[in-house]
Amino acid sequence: MSTPHANPRHPERSERSRPAQSPRIPRCFVALLLGTIATGALAEDLLIRNATVLTITNGTLPNASVLVRNGKIAAVGANVTAPASARVIDATGKFVSPGIIDTHSHTAVEGSVNEVSLPNTGMVRIADALTNEDISAYRQLAGGTTMALVLHGSANAIGGQSQIVKWKWGRPISEWLVTGAPRTIKFALGENPKSANFRPPEGQARQYPATRMGVEEVIRKSFVDARDYLARWDEYEAKRKRNEAAIPPRRDLLMETMADILRGNIDVHAHSYRADEIVMLLNLADELGFKIRELQHVLEGYKVAPEIAAHGAGAGTFIDWWGYKAEAYDAIPYNVALMVRNGVLTSVNSDSDELARHLNHDMAKAMKYGGLTEDEALRLGTINAAKQLRLDNRLGSIEVGKDADLVIWTAHPLSTYARVDTTMIEGEIYFDRAEDLARREDMRREKEERLKKESK
Amino acid sequence: MRLRRLAAFLFFLSATTLHGDAPGVYAITGGTVHPVSGAPIPNGTVVIRDGLIESVGANVTVPRDATVIDATSAHVYPGLIDAQTFLGFAAAKKGDPEPAPDSLAIRNLRITDDDLDAGRSVGVTTVVTAPNTGIFSGQSVVLNLSAGPMESRVIKSPAAQHIAFRTRPTWTFPDSLMGVIAHIRQTLMDAQQYTAARTVYERNPAGLQRPAESAALEALQPALAREVPVVFVADSAEMIRRAQAIAREFNLRYVIAGARQGYQLADALQGVPVLVSVKWPAAPADKEDREDQPLRLIRDRQLAPTTPAVLAKANVEFALVSAPGKAGDFIPGIRKAMENGLSAEQALRATTLAPARMFGVDRQLGSLERGKIANVVIADRPLFAENAKVTRVFVDGREVRLPAPDKKATATAAAPIDGTWSVTVRAPQGSVSMQVTLKAEDGRLTGTFSGDRGSGEIRNGTITDSAFEFTISANTQNEAEASDWAFRGTLSGDTMNGTVATTIGNFEFSGSKSK
Repeated sequence: MSTPHANPRHPERSERSRPAQSPRIPRCFVALLLGTIATGALAEDLLIRNATVLTITNGTLPNASVLVRNGKIAAVGANVTAPASARVIDATGKFVSPGIIDTHSHTAVEGSVNEVSLPNTGMVRIADALTNEDISAYRQLAGGTTMALVLHGSANAIGGQSQIVKWKWGRPISEWLVTGAPRTIKFALGENPKSANFRPPEGQARQYPATRMGVEEVIRKSFVDARDYLARWDEYEAKRKRNEAAIPPRRDLLMETMADILRGNIDVHAHSYRADEIVMLLNLADELGFKIRELQHVLEGYKVAPEIAAHGAGAGTFIDWWGYKAEAYDAIPYNVALMVRNGVLTSVNSDSDELARHLNHDMAKAMKYGGLTEDEALRLGTINAAKQLRLDNRLGSIEVGKDADLVIWTAHPLSTYARVDTTMIEGEIYFDRAEDLARREDMRREKEERLKKESK
Repeated sequence: MRLRRLAAFLFFLSATTLHGDAPGVYAITGGTVHPVSGAPIPNGTVVIRDGLIESVGANVTVPRDATVIDATSAHVYPGLIDAQTFLGFAAAKKGDPEPAPDSLAIRNLRITDDDLDAGRSVGVTTVVTAPNTGIFSGQSVVLNLSAGPMESRVIKSPAAQHIAFRTRPTWTFPDSLMGVIAHIRQTLMDAQQYTAARTVYERNPAGLQRPAESAALEALQPALAREVPVVFVADSAEMIRRAQAIAREFNLRYVIAGARQGYQLADALQGVPVLVSVKWPAAPADKEDREDQPLRLIRDRQLAPTTPAVLAKANVEFALVSAPGKAGDFIPGIRKAMENGLSAEQALRATTLAPARMFGVDRQLGSLERGKIANVVIADRPLFAENAKVTRVFVDGREVRLPAPDKKATATAAAPIDGTWSVTVRAPQGSVSMQVTLKAEDGRLTGTFSGDRGSGEIRNGTITDSAFEFTISANTQNEAEASDWAFRGTLSGDTMNGTVATTIGNFEFSGSKSK
């Protein structure tokens, strides 16, 4: 969503304004913590014992164990044996789920998440601007979220390339990037790319496009240009093959991106609200020869769910968050259930540092609104999200061979009473509630001592 | 005719000071000589002739024609090299053209006598300078702070290409960090293509479209060929890694400038020359502001001055530089690095031979050795010691006059805008409050902000009389995003007002000075 709005119920709202410089949870300490605990955890097997295991894909296993080896899930079930050297976490009375995957995040981006200047900014990459100093990443771990699609903003019809990351707090950004993950890009429809809610600075012309028609035209023109671009390169390569003199065309980062979408090398995640523009985009994609991997927000998806399913697009939406601008009015909490029932691969996601800390609640609400089963609700933030990111062979459920991105909860995660005890990524512990609490006094003392030095 | 010329010449001589004379012959005797290239020499002698160093040592015979300078109980050094400055370039004002890769610093700089005095009076005789504007800031020059025509001061030009991760105003590409990186990569790719296209064309132009000329892309060729280094301005660990990723992608010879978080990167910086800025991050003046900050920030700013010592221990080649601070803060900044573990010897090397090597001028500069350029500094005690005073300075073998001490003092009077301001922005969604601490210096405005939309340092700050501008990176309301807010206002006593340009429109703001 990327542009601020007044409505108090919108992710862009100003609800509790937190001073960005006074995080409650000390991030430096976590770096230290990781240095001591996490690296040790890699070397040895880890057994989570006697938990209720929410496998997502194979039902719920009471009194079961999960064995973690080399960052992967090595065994799941009631009769798991581990070597004597294995580290054991007794999870009696607790619940284990896969880490929650958030398919709409803007966390950990340094500077603006929007390159505002052009209607198509496909040349820019979120990966270039990620920072490992955003405390929100750690807070999300504390809410069971281990992974996210960090998207470019929605200021342009075609925005920048997005990035799939795991919240490996304390590590350099290079380690946050999920290796082998698909490349992704943000498209946006409606009010934001047509600059309906903001104006350029004084003296500067309003930027094209200013209508939904214009947004469609920008997208179509970009792909037409990309075909021309590819044709120029084909012509050049053909001449070279014939040993004719030929001047190499310019390598254009924007056109390379568009070409990679056409080649199927970049997945499109499209910000959208209204049913008419959703259908427009699906038709346009069919016409131009690419797929929409996931519609984002998609608050009117329930009106065109069969069309979305037929295209094969997923839908990542909010359960009960709407009304923050004109195009977000015709929304209902049953959107998730209706899309699921009509065969749309659906997830709930955050678009918010705050919501990303308790996506389990939004998953639970889908049981209330529309009657999804417990398993269906759990899938919204796990395997469905993994499928939308095309990483379901590695993530999104507790299955042997998958990444050990696991969360230990004090209660069933669909309960509002559930709290996260431990969050691990690839078998390494990145959040541990007891450790966090234990270190706060040290943090407080260090801060006091350091401030004392400066008061002299 | 000849007489007339002679008369003119004599007039010229009389009109110039002693500094304008032929370089002359000097013997500096009796002091502790710090050649840098070797161990200190107690009671050593340095002989200067015709702008060059003739001899250095303990048993040097003073030539008959030398003017003897008694440096007994004083210390003698090669002139310091400040290898990252904006000397001669004013802060950018709106509408100023941005520099480009083909901009040559030497063609555009304007150096005043005050600029020369500020450097020389702390022992700096040579600077590397380039504008502090633009993404491609152009090609720097290594310059002696000598008298005479600008061209005569040049040691090396171009010295390096300079690149900064600096956004343009919102709605002008690139207005985001990721856009800046795309712009840098595209420009370097264009420069590669430029040569590839011309090579094909020049081989046999018949039947081929003529590639367009581009001075900017032409100017990047020496950098792509690794003939000149590229200086990337990068302070945080992640920004340094971003610079390194670009340098690796295009196989550049590169230097990192700034390096505030260099203390975290001893491994990553192996083999990379680093220009460590000694403008260390400052704590907020207000006690409550300090207490509001997270430990991470407090720790980071306290560890920043350990960067030189950390790099020295890891055998990373580094120099100490003043930018983005000014010459007067150079020595205090170096001293702070010494309080944090850097030895005086390491500090001296980092301001002489090390920067000379990075810019390929170490055969001319950086040490007191026979045949090198006679930039020599005499101080009444070890140069970086508390209360040390530079007493005499020679540049290109000529003694330069140092400013009277009172002149320096007047330069630091507080500007009317200096201080902490309570600022309210009237956005349609309601007002947004923040505290902004500002400091004006030579037309530049620096400072910090904190409040409803996060906190951080202000950027692109300028001030002319009462008109000022600066930009902040403000969080949007959900705090997951940030975008630039460009303030433009006027100052009137203890109040200020003006407009803020944001991605969602222009809003009015007003501010009052906190007492």
